[in-house]
Amino acid sequence: MKVGILGGGAWGQALGRLVMAAGHEPFIAYRDVRPPQLLRSSKVPTKVAAECELLIAATSASELRQAIRATQPGPQHRVVVAGRGVEPDSGTWLTDVVLQESTALRVGALVGPAPVDEILNGGLCAGVVASRFDEVRNLLTEALHSSRYRVYESTDLSGVQLAGAVVPVLASLLGVARHLQGAGVGVHALVLSRGLEEASRLAEAIGADPRTFAGLAGVGDLVAAQGREGHPHFDAGAALARGETDQGPKALAATLVGLARGHGVEMPLTEALLAIYQGLPPVEAVQMLMARPAAAERS
Amino acid sequence: MTIDATMTGLARPQPRRVVVAELVDRSRKRLDTLSDARLTATFEDLLYMERKRLERAPPEPELEGHLDDLAKALVRGGRSDRMDAALGVIGLWGDEIHGRFNPRVYRGATRVLPRALSGLLSGRPGRLRDWSLSSQSRLRVKGNLPLLAQLAKESTLVLAPTHVSNLDSPLIGLALYLAGLPPFVYGAGLNLFSNPMVGWWLGRLGAYTVDRTKKARLYKDVLKDYSVRCLTTRHHSLFFPGGTRSRSHEVEPRIKKGLLGTAAVAWQEMLAAKRPDSEVYIVPLTLSFTLTLEAATLIEDHLADAGKQRYIITDDEFAQPRRLASFFRRVMDLDSAMVAHFGDPIDCLGFPVSADPAERAEQAIHRRRYVTDAQGEVEWDAQRDRIYTDRLGGALIDAWPRYAEVLPTHLAAWAAWRCLEAQVGSTDPFRLVRTPADGRHLDRGDYLACLRTELQRVKDGGKAGRWGEQLPNTAEEVLEVALDRFARYHRSRALTTADSRVFVQDPKLCLYYRNRLTFMDRENA
Repeated sequence: MKVGILGGGAWGQALGRLVMAAGHEPFIAYRDVRPPQLLRSSKVPTKVAAECELLIAATSASELRQAIRATQPGPQHRVVVAGRGVEPDSGTWLTDVVLQESTALRVGALVGPAPVDEILNGGLCAGVVASRFDEVRNLLTEALHSSRYRVYESTDLSGVQLAGAVVPVLASLLGVARHLQGAGVGVHALVLSRGLEEASRLAEAIGADPRTFAGLAGVGDLVAAQGREGHPHFDAGAALARGETDQGPKALAATLVGLARGHGVEMPLTEALLAIYQGLPPVEAVQMLMARPAAAERS
Repeated sequence: MTIDATMTGLARPQPRRVVVAELVDRSRKRLDTLSDARLTATFEDLLYMERKRLERAPPEPELEGHLDDLAKALVRGGRSDRMDAALGVIGLWGDEIHGRFNPRVYRGATRVLPRALSGLLSGRPGRLRDWSLSSQSRLRVKGNLPLLAQLAKESTLVLAPTHVSNLDSPLIGLALYLAGLPPFVYGAGLNLFSNPMVGWWLGRLGAYTVDRTKKARLYKDVLKDYSVRCLTTRHHSLFFPGGTRSRSHEVEPRIKKGLLGTAAVAWQEMLAAKRPDSEVYIVPLTLSFTLTLEAATLIEDHLADAGKQRYIITDDEFAQPRRLASFFRRVMDLDSAMVAHFGDPIDCLGFPVSADPAERAEQAIHRRRYVTDAQGEVEWDAQRDRIYTDRLGGALIDAWPRYAEVLPTHLAAWAAWRCLEAQVGSTDPFRLVRTPADGRHLDRGDYLACLRTELQRVKDGGKAGRWGEQLPNTAEEVLEVALDRFARYHRSRALTTADSRVFVQDPKLCLYYRNRLTFMDRENA
């Protein structure tokens, strides 16, 4: 099977390797830098779309809309977005971006720990593909599942995409917690568990399955984020603890806070991260969180 | 009116035994794909549900014979014995379901019935002779009718109306006639056939039978098979996607997808057969009534939250000839007492259908790729089709309010309810309908101010169909017309005036009529 990959960056190349490991032919549409010759590629995305029924979008969330416009998937395509859940500026689910910008209907999302350098070096990993369409999940599983990469399937498209959006925020908060002077492993544990709880509340409010956060898209991805050096969102949190607010998932946090308010859900940790981006010193943010009244663990 | 054979398969009726045999064959093919365990479970469900139904139904010896055979086969028979007995039941169901449309009766009826119905609608028999069906109708018909007539020739149409009253079906029949469209087949409850006269006419004018007391899963499958068969033989069909009359009077915010899903199946069957006329288009239709015959019963049922239990209401105003006559006499003699607005057609996936023939042909080619493989062969996938039907359902839910006509009774009740909410300090309808009479007097000035605001909101909405020709320009006129309408039919009035105040006399009726506009708040949310 030929599998189209939109995006020739490190993640696109890693997916290309995984497609090859599963015994299929990747065909990458790249924009700036041509991937290694081992991976077949083209600078013309419509050429990739013409040859492949399955397209995996491996661009950043902010570049997805442009990539879909350039590729113009049609009714025959199954489009799986391997990205971070929500478009930062508009707060639109990434699969909805595909629906808005093309006539494709059969869409899905691939989320999970994606240690690109490990995958490129032959490391083992796993992800979860979510779609309402059985055929999309089956096709993506066939395209990627191998002894190197396990694919799990879910019908909870909203939950998986929400997890994809929440993990960067929580990873940054963990980065703050780990690097804040005086904060020990207790704060770290608090942020991790309460972060997952507030994300689960939001999931329930939007009709997603809160249990999705216990899977690869939630806890799995979060463990990967804090378990190795150089994770961009975890590092962004560390920078925030030092007072540097120019990087990290600010837009995602704002989107999640907006979504939560729209559904009447409290997300104190995410709101705290946003407040830090808006100038609140991290220490004060922690003090504010600790000063909140006592509450039941599950609301 | 002679039926144009290019417009509907109804002009070429097939023998009953052929139709029933086809239904049995469709069931056989579907059942053949089931494992022994699932087949047994399906037949056990059929046996249990049918025997339970028969406990309260008149004896049906032939059916009981098949059920006895099935029971024996389930105990000690093989797969084929069970299948034979079940197919016997399905044959009886098929015979009951299949309509008895008769082109000659239709031709005769279209000479008499529209005139009779329009006479009823005029309320003055003397006007029968010069009554013009098109321009002076109490039933106003709106929409792109030439496009629908064209689509009826080149494809198969599914009409998807909102459901307000038991009068909907005959009025839709009249609306189709006025619109120059061919007759549509539709499912009518078996209870309506219990009157031999009514049943005779219903069957011969395009109705097929739906027995809602039959709860076996297999019965629903046979109904769907029948619908697919109708569509693939180019019988334009009418489904009420809401499933039943809207108890609350809201424009349906959710739908049942059972029969609606047959549109996509029929489309794909015709594609697989390489038919040139394979397209199936869905036409939303929104019905708006100044007053509703069964309003009092329906809102009571809604408030009692008994809609499910009383899915088939047999003792409402529709079953009371005097009430029915009173309704026709007092209500239908009004300009635009009813508005039937045909919406723009959409396809089985919920996409709009172009009015331009060339563009429409391109759309058809494009659309096929949602269900075919690279070689153009249909890829059957029921799970995928269910999602497509969800999408179609969403498109209908979006479309219906666009074609809803805001009538004075709706708007006056809407504003009154808003004032009542403010006065009582609650939006809980159950609390509001129990408000004592002295708490339901509204200051006229405040009320008119609210009505003025809402009137302006409707005007500003500016969406097609919203602004009825009969909706007055000022709040005072809207109230005056609404008060006149409310006084005409219901035993108690939704609104009256007393001592320069507006009085919500019957809060349940007020709630019923205001509910028609709840889509305005949904749109603003």
